Amino acid sequence: MLFGLAWRNLWRQKSRTILSMTSMGFASCLLVFVLSLQLGSYETMKTNTLRIFDGFAQLQPPGYADDPDISNYIHDPVAAIAEVRGVNGISAASPRSSTFVVLANGEISYGAAVFGVDPVAESAVSSLATSVGAGRYLSAGDTDTMVLGSALARNLGVEIGDRVTLLGSAADRSVAADSLQVVGLFDTGIPQVDRQVAQMPIDRFRDTFMMEGGANVIVLGGESLSRVNRALPEVREIGARHGLVTLGWAELQPALKQAITLDATTSSAIYVSLVFVVVFIILNTLYMSVLERTREFGVLLAIGMKPGAIGRMMWIELILLAAVGSFFGIALGATAVLWFQKHGIPVAGMEDIMAQFGLPSRIYPRLSLFSALAGPAAILISVTLGGVIPFLRIRRLEPVSAMGAA
Amino acid sequence: MCPDTKEATTPGADAPENDSIVVCRNLEKHYRQGAIQVPALRGVDLEIHRGDFATLAGPSGSGKTTLLNMIGGLDYPSAGEIIVDGQDLRALTKSDLAEMRLRKIGFVFQAYNLIPVLTAAENIEFILRLQGVGSRERHERARAALADVGLEGLEDRRPSHLSGGQQQRVAVARALINRPAIVLADEPTANLDTQTAGGLIDLMADLNARHGTTFLMGTHDARVIARSRRHIELTDGRISGDELRNT
Ligand SMILES: Nc1ncnc2c1ncn2[C@@H]1O[C@H](COP(=O)(O)OP(=O)(O)OP(=O)(O)O)[C@@H](O)[C@H]1O
Ligand SMILES: [Mg+2]
Repeated sequence: MLFGLAWRNLWRQKSRTILSMTSMGFASCLLVFVLSLQLGSYETMKTNTLRIFDGFAQLQPPGYADDPDISNYIHDPVAAIAEVRGVNGISAASPRSSTFVVLANGEISYGAAVFGVDPVAESAVSSLATSVGAGRYLSAGDTDTMVLGSALARNLGVEIGDRVTLLGSAADRSVAADSLQVVGLFDTGIPQVDRQVAQMPIDRFRDTFMMEGGANVIVLGGESLSRVNRALPEVREIGARHGLVTLGWAELQPALKQAITLDATTSSAIYVSLVFVVVFIILNTLYMSVLERTREFGVLLAIGMKPGAIGRMMWIELILLAAVGSFFGIALGATAVLWFQKHGIPVAGMEDIMAQFGLPSRIYPRLSLFSALAGPAAILISVTLGGVIPFLRIRRLEPVSAMGAA
Repeated sequence: MCPDTKEATTPGADAPENDSIVVCRNLEKHYRQGAIQVPALRGVDLEIHRGDFATLAGPSGSGKTTLLNMIGGLDYPSAGEIIVDGQDLRALTKSDLAEMRLRKIGFVFQAYNLIPVLTAAENIEFILRLQGVGSRERHERARAALADVGLEGLEDRRPSHLSGGQQQRVAVARALINRPAIVLADEPTANLDTQTAGGLIDLMADLNARHGTTFLMGTHDARVIARSRRHIELTDGRISGDELRNT
């Protein structure tokens, strides 16, 4: 009974109700869109950054993350790799070893991080192979080959086909030296990588650095970061059984995590203000209509309706108003997000810069349950809670004074 | 809607208490206005009997509305005793009073009686819903009640599509739907033109005659007073006259 009455009451002040619903709907729509855009761009940022090199997750020996020492390595990665590859959501697992060396070309020498990688498995976890601009990436049958960051090659003065020598210390602390032929140069757009990184086949790395069959880390890949994230608990279990720790994206890229957290915190302050304003408008409207209808409430009380029931009726009016408004807001916002999710939003004037960092020149919002519902739910909940004020006011109404109200 | 046969066995004259729907003894009501107390009722002694068709008149500010409100359980008296249909109202909580109003009292106010978003029939059914009556019975009783006040065919109109007189008739029908012990009407004709007012008072007199429903009406309207069978005068918060008359 209260429900039907509340619904009809809403339409007594048609234009006011429509106006309130519109402002609710607009705010919900905006929140859905902006939140989807924001979370979508975080996702793009994370994915693109991790794809280049770190992978979506890694298995490492304990302590390696804090002190990446070549001598701290996984002695038998084969079993762990086979097992994690079987996890739903993980499509690739690539062993990787690395250490700092001095690379030299005749008189010129530079410090570099050299990585031993499995040429085939590696391309499934990292996009580095696709940013090879000159020459080619490492391939399966390679023995003494190497790919270099383009800036590093320039510094060393080497070109495709030249040989470089490397000098470093092996996993057993002995001196390690080797000579490798440069077959490709890559340009990831990340200066540190292009200036410092070199890659060689992992088998050769193992020989050179006395690591028989081992690897420092196992890099994991999958269809998407979120799928890998969902698979992490299982990966963690497998890792633990092999005495390994599992690092997710946040541990692999703490700076990125920090930047995202900071950005999310700042923008949530804006969202909270938006919610606050809308809730204030709605409650104000409700309060006005409570005051206008006090006399009518007096009659309702007189004929035997309980004050609590009148209060509940008003509360239902409020919730209906908010629910209808946010329903349309969600529908509209979600439609817009889905469209742009497909077509992207061009970032005017940023194309060049974005491309340089390996980012697409369009940003893509991403609709999720969270982005669709968080904003409208916040509004709906605040409105519902805010409705307690008029509710309590109505509950205190006395029939005689209410009927006497102007 | 007929008087109880059980009570009708003891005739009114020698046992007035049994036949009294309302008993007020030394009833007082003071309103506090800031620091000062405004006396609205200063010791009212009054009995309303089953089947009365009574008017309550008096100058503006004499306490008519206040007295009707006390009897209707809309407010508590400051002192004195008030018994409605055998129940001491002072002993009731607010929520009990609301329940009492729902079951035993019918109200007709000067204006704004009806819920604007409900149709004539729904306004009447509303009371029955509050009482928990099932939907089919509600429907039938509401239609019958509207027919009883001469509003057949207007069941589905909202108050805004009814004339002032028709609205007051709906209010009367609603006041009667719970078969109340007493109908309290505060200036029911004040917003009506004389002809419509005459029609409404005729209707109430007719309902009183046919169903034996007890009416107490606060009014200034001379023609309403002319139709009443008992006339009570209130002056300065006291009963200054109480006469029976036969029409
Ligand atoms: N809520 C209130 N607060 C203060 N004083 C009040 C209140 N209600 C009524 N009074 C006072 O009580 C007295 C009786 O008022 P009441 O409304 O009962 O008179 P009435 O006979 O119904 O008058 P009218 O014919 O104008 O309707 C008046 O002096 C009035 O000013
Ligand atoms: Mg009055």
